[in-house]
Amino acid sequence: MSKPSINLRDLVILVADGSSYFSMLVHGMLRGFGTSKVIEVRDAVDALRIMTSQRVDVLICDAKLPPHGGQALTRAIRRKPDNEHRTIPILIMSADTREATIKRARDAGANMVVAKPLSPLNLYDRLTWIAMTSRQFVDCPNYFGPDRRFKNDGNQKGSGRRKIDQPAEAAADSVDADAEPALRTA
Amino acid sequence: MADDQNQIARIFPVETRFQKIAQQPGGVPRDQALRQAFAAVEAVKPGFDAWLDGEMQCLVDAVARAQAGKPAAEWAETANLYSRHMRDVGTTMGYELLSFVANSLCEVLDAIEAGIPCNLESVTCHLDALVLARQPEYRALSPEQLPELASGLRSVADRVSVVHTDG
Repeated sequence: MSKPSINLRDLVILVADGSSYFSMLVHGMLRGFGTSKVIEVRDAVDALRIMTSQRVDVLICDAKLPPHGGQALTRAIRRKPDNEHRTIPILIMSADTREATIKRARDAGANMVVAKPLSPLNLYDRLTWIAMTSRQFVDCPNYFGPDRRFKNDGNQKGSGRRKIDQPAEAAADSVDADAEPALRTA
Repeated sequence: MADDQNQIARIFPVETRFQKIAQQPGGVPRDQALRQAFAAVEAVKPGFDAWLDGEMQCLVDAVARAQAGKPAAEWAETANLYSRHMRDVGTTMGYELLSFVANSLCEVLDAIEAGIPCNLESVTCHLDALVLARQPEYRALSPEQLPELASGLRSVADRVSVVHTDG
């Protein structure tokens, strides 16, 4: 079966990375994929400024983004209830793909971590996965973001770990293809 | 406590604008999209050496401050920044060894930034390795093809990391 294509025309992708050269590379890849508008910023302050002045459909940001890192930026976006970008897909790029780093990104509310160095294939596949996979959002006192469990198919008794989880049958349409390891990328 | 939080968790479906549009037909077909993206990467390669010269110079300048006796706070973060820049693009540009060496240097600099006593030799040996890694005869080699260099740098970074972890 051939792998799916995605339509990135008419989408705005914000690339936040402190390195202009790296950003230029990602920009080139995204334009090659057919993205009509790619915006580059060098720090979190500019990223937030852009998001208050215009629509952004996806944020791709560096884990080490100045001044406080991509996780802090992710939390800032997810935390604010009146932020119209609160639920946008966020990919964090990191050369450090140790489990602890990935968990930190996940707990900040990132949709996915993509490994640096980045290849066009990796980036395309991650974007495709996010586009094609529906994930519920969780809003609770200490977290706002995509469901970190990925797979909400309930347990044998018909409910998940949370008391409010639906029975397995009712939740089946929200099941994702892969459980948590999918957050960890190539 | 955890149960209390679970009880008040709100779980709801989200369909983003990205998902709606990305799933529509009419985009660039996958194979063509990847071809175009690889072509975009190739297009920036000619300028890579000049960019690398600039990054190396900034890294060398930062380390020179360390050699002049400045405290880590005045140079390690800057050195780490330029080292990360090289690590992040090296492999994509066909300089796999450069990425490997820069990654090892980042580990050393992370530890120094975290406060371990600075061993300048662990930094300067990485600088020498970076100079080597960008030479035409070395740039396309993988660390596995240079096991002595790779294991030597690895052991330097590990030694620093152990101090970092223990300390």
